[in-house]
Amino acid sequence: MFKKLIAESAAKSPWLFHINAGSCNGCDIELVSVLTPRYDAERLGFKLAGSPRHADIVVVTGPVTTQSLPRVLRAISQVPEPRCIVTMGSCPQSGNVFRGSYSVAGPLSKYVHVDVDVAGCAPKPEAVIDGLALATKILKEKRGR
Amino acid sequence: MSIILSALQYLGYILIFPGFLFCFLGGMLLCGIDRKIVAKMQKRVGPPVLQPFYDFFKLCGKETIVPAAAAKTTFLMAPLVGLAALVVIQLFIPVFHFSAFSGMADIIVILYLLLIPALSIIIGGAASGSPYAGVGLSREMVTVIACELPLVLVLLAVAKTVGSALGTGLCFSLTEIAAYQAANGSLILRASMIPAALAFLLVIPGETGNHPFDAAEAETEICEGMLAEYSGPPLAVYKLSHAIKMLTLTSLFVALFLGGIGGKIVNILALLGLTGGAAGALGVLLGAVVLFLLCALITIVCISLVHAATARLKIEQIFKYYWTVVSALALMSLVLAWYGL
Ligand code: SF4
Repeated sequence: MFKKLIAESAAKSPWLFHINAGSCNGCDIELVSVLTPRYDAERLGFKLAGSPRHADIVVVTGPVTTQSLPRVLRAISQVPEPRCIVTMGSCPQSGNVFRGSYSVAGPLSKYVHVDVDVAGCAPKPEAVIDGLALATKILKEKRGR
Repeated sequence: MSIILSALQYLGYILIFPGFLFCFLGGMLLCGIDRKIVAKMQKRVGPPVLQPFYDFFKLCGKETIVPAAAAKTTFLMAPLVGLAALVVIQLFIPVFHFSAFSGMADIIVILYLLLIPALSIIIGGAASGSPYAGVGLSREMVTVIACELPLVLVLLAVAKTVGSALGTGLCFSLTEIAAYQAANGSLILRASMIPAALAFLLVIPGETGNHPFDAAEAETEICEGMLAEYSGPPLAVYKLSHAIKMLTLTSLFVALFLGGIGGKIVNILALLGLTGGAAGALGVLLGAVVLFLLCALITIVCISLVHAATARLKIEQIFKYYWTVVSALALMSLVLAWYGL
């Protein structure tokens, strides 16, 4: 019963940690708008955590530059299991307009397992919430195992 | 036989009411109500009132990471010490007429015990070996010192008022304060006690580390300070301690300033024609409910509304604020009480 309670709670209280991997700041602002009164992701239990150790979902924005890659990987490895990695925007998925640049090391999926991709430049807040909701489902499955 | 019975009774006090279970449920619900009210004031829907429970159980299911630089035992034990101290305080605070252990400790013991949760978080943070925790703990120490002066002045003012009415000088016993209020009406109804009550209300968010006074746990600047390295169950215990601290301080406020209400409850029971053991049990239950409702009201007034209306203060602003404005309010009451007003 206790196990079931924990699995249920895992889906209802996902805390986010946001990593900027060389983003143009467009996606970062859209992520913040998800938490503002208009879209209010807190009603679903989402909360922005200050430290990667507290997080359940890691949101990565930006094309993953060569400078940021080791830091991104290190921050992700500090997140306790079970965790979920969500890429936000087209940048971490494909490189977007930065593709082919000498300073871009992405896409992120070359280095870690990515659970959810939210495409768009920048994605709409509705799409972000949709992607995060999908991530909570995956979290619950991971917890149930 | 009677020894076993009384042992069972005390175990019930410690584990159920007013001990651990009551603290857990009450604190978490207060925390949920606080988050909901803040959301409403910001025109949001807000998380469900049960959100802190979800957070707690989720954290219980997460992995616990102990950093390589940490002192392992201290790092893991510190949260438990803080939690235990808070539950002990709750045992000493009388719930109107009913008091589990209040005869054994007075306000001064509670004052000391109130320091332990803050100390436990400081020690835990220091043991984690993180530089963010270092910054956070120095700020936490300043906050604790800032809150201590007005808190002591408020307690002195209350002790002097009740003490001079009873003719014993200073009265530090919480049971006597509760009995005095049940007989003579709540202390908050006295003009000389209103500044002290105000000062206590202003101390509560500082002691619990709630919003404008949360420089020590600033998540946007120093990664939640002392909690930066905590994950999983120990973090859950810290979150629980924070919630219980809200309950403890608000119920201390009820015990010190609003104690007269308990007498009314028993009067209601007497009017209904109930006497004996059933009335006693019912009185305790009713007292618990009324205590929780009052705590929720105080939380909304002095934590949620302040949270929604203000931005975070810098650490030196916190210190200055507590040692000037709030201390002046408390001192005013103390002087008035000294001259017997
Ligand atoms: S996806 Fe677009 S908005 Fe987002 S970081 Fe990349 S370029 Fe900026």
